[in-house]
Amino acid sequence: MVDLPKKKVGIIACAGEEIPEGTISRVAARMVLEELRPEDTVTLCLPLFLAGDERERAFARFYPTIAIDGCEKLCAKRATEKYSGPVSSNIVVDKLVQMRGLSPGQSRRELDETAQRAAEVVAQEIVNQVERILGKEKIVAAVPGVEETAPAGAGTACACVSGIPMTQVKIGDVSVGLVALEPIFEQFYQEGRQDGPGLDEDLLKTVKLYNYVPPSAEERYKAALLEEYEKFCRRKGG
Amino acid sequence: MVEADYLQTQVDKFVFKVKKNCYYTEDGIWVQVESGAGRVGVSDFLQQKSGDAAFVNLPELGTTLKQGQEMGSIETIKADVTINSPLSGVVQETNRELEIEPELINEDPYNEGWLVLVEMSDFESDRKNLLTAEEYFTVMKSQAEEEAKKR
Amino acid sequence: MSQKEDDKVLIIPCSGIGKAFGSVGREAMYMVVEELRPEETETVCLSLLTLGDEEAKDRVRRHPVITIDGCPKGCAEVNVESVGGRSAANFRVVDTYREHPELKVRSVLHLGEAGRKLAHFLARKVASQVDAIKMTEETIDG
Repeated sequence: MVDLPKKKVGIIACAGEEIPEGTISRVAARMVLEELRPEDTVTLCLPLFLAGDERERAFARFYPTIAIDGCEKLCAKRATEKYSGPVSSNIVVDKLVQMRGLSPGQSRRELDETAQRAAEVVAQEIVNQVERILGKEKIVAAVPGVEETAPAGAGTACACVSGIPMTQVKIGDVSVGLVALEPIFEQFYQEGRQDGPGLDEDLLKTVKLYNYVPPSAEERYKAALLEEYEKFCRRKGG
Repeated sequence: MVEADYLQTQVDKFVFKVKKNCYYTEDGIWVQVESGAGRVGVSDFLQQKSGDAAFVNLPELGTTLKQGQEMGSIETIKADVTINSPLSGVVQETNRELEIEPELINEDPYNEGWLVLVEMSDFESDRKNLLTAEEYFTVMKSQAEEEAKKR
Repeated sequence: MSQKEDDKVLIIPCSGIGKAFGSVGREAMYMVVEELRPEETETVCLSLLTLGDEEAKDRVRRHPVITIDGCPKGCAEVNVESVGGRSAANFRVVDTYREHPELKVRSVLHLGEAGRKLAHFLARKVASQVDAIKMTEETIDG
């Protein structure tokens, strides 16, 4: 696995407007993004999976992602898995709040004192999951209302503003958008790997972590990646 | 999608593109030479740093510009951004679309979001004070890294 | 007179988690749905439309929908239209801001006085649009 610079965890909240738990998911996510772990987390508006393009839909392939859902409909988890990739963790607000004996409050618009407390508890659980994914802390007991899945992949940057870095590459006659190509090239370059046996194979293996490569096209991808990487190295002056 | 026309880099949370075959000021204003005229706009880094554009103030047609002189501004929801002219010359055209859709600056800073077209009076001199795309790319990356440290 | 669910206009803001104007749009929706036109309007979770929830899709197909977007990506409008929803009008928060540029909103989480004022101006416009839609419907039915 490439250790891409500045690992971050993605957070996608349902932000559901119809119920207080949806608002709690939104507030808790923002608390983590703005106050509790701003250096370690990034977000994307869930509806951008439809309104955006491949750069937004690459979010969960690029970042290990925590889905925060208000209720059992699991919009954040299911939509992320449908459009982007598997989530690393799923927090369901109504379940978590109930298990902790808290209340989501009456208002879906503004959180009262009890709902604010609930949001703080959800935010803390998000932080726990962030730290688990980043390998900063061992979480001994699973918290009720929280489902853990596979541990993290690599991740680097925020999608909220810019989208995942994506580069168009000519593979044979076809132009293909590849996620994370520039950071991958940068990583190889920083490691001093500018030529040598097996370079094309290793480039392909790393690219495949973030992109689907049809087995029948692997040789063409290897050749194209090597050519693109050589251009990248020339631009770097190496 | 990044095509062969752009250089691209990622700094902290953000991805920034620099259009090749343009010249740039250090502030992030680009110039694309088109048959004796220069089309002017803001770079991807500048538009991302500034925020969503709400108002664009451009010079009148026929205005004489001097390189480095203030020529307009972009008011975003975060800040007011002064635009200094990268060229000397006369304003030939302004992008009227920005009056209704200022967000074109954010959505497509290098194409649909262009600001003005200038009939250049002395590009040979002006060019000495401009950066190539590759040079700006390096400068921009440092600026972006500095911004990231502040956050 | 109390309105059945069938007669309601749906107000759907964008998710707004990334931009301050997203929060303004969300607040404007609640102002309309809970204060200005509580009998005539309701909302639907945008995330349900993104997911493709059949019940949510059915609602936006059967009712006129007003969308409110906080940034140029236009998530609310695009998501409603992509599921075949009846998009009756779209409001962009930035357009209301352009009428009131003194109301700068800096935070996504905490709207502040300026954010609430901006939401209020926007909510009034949305409410007027609701009235226009209802009047058109009454004219057609009547």
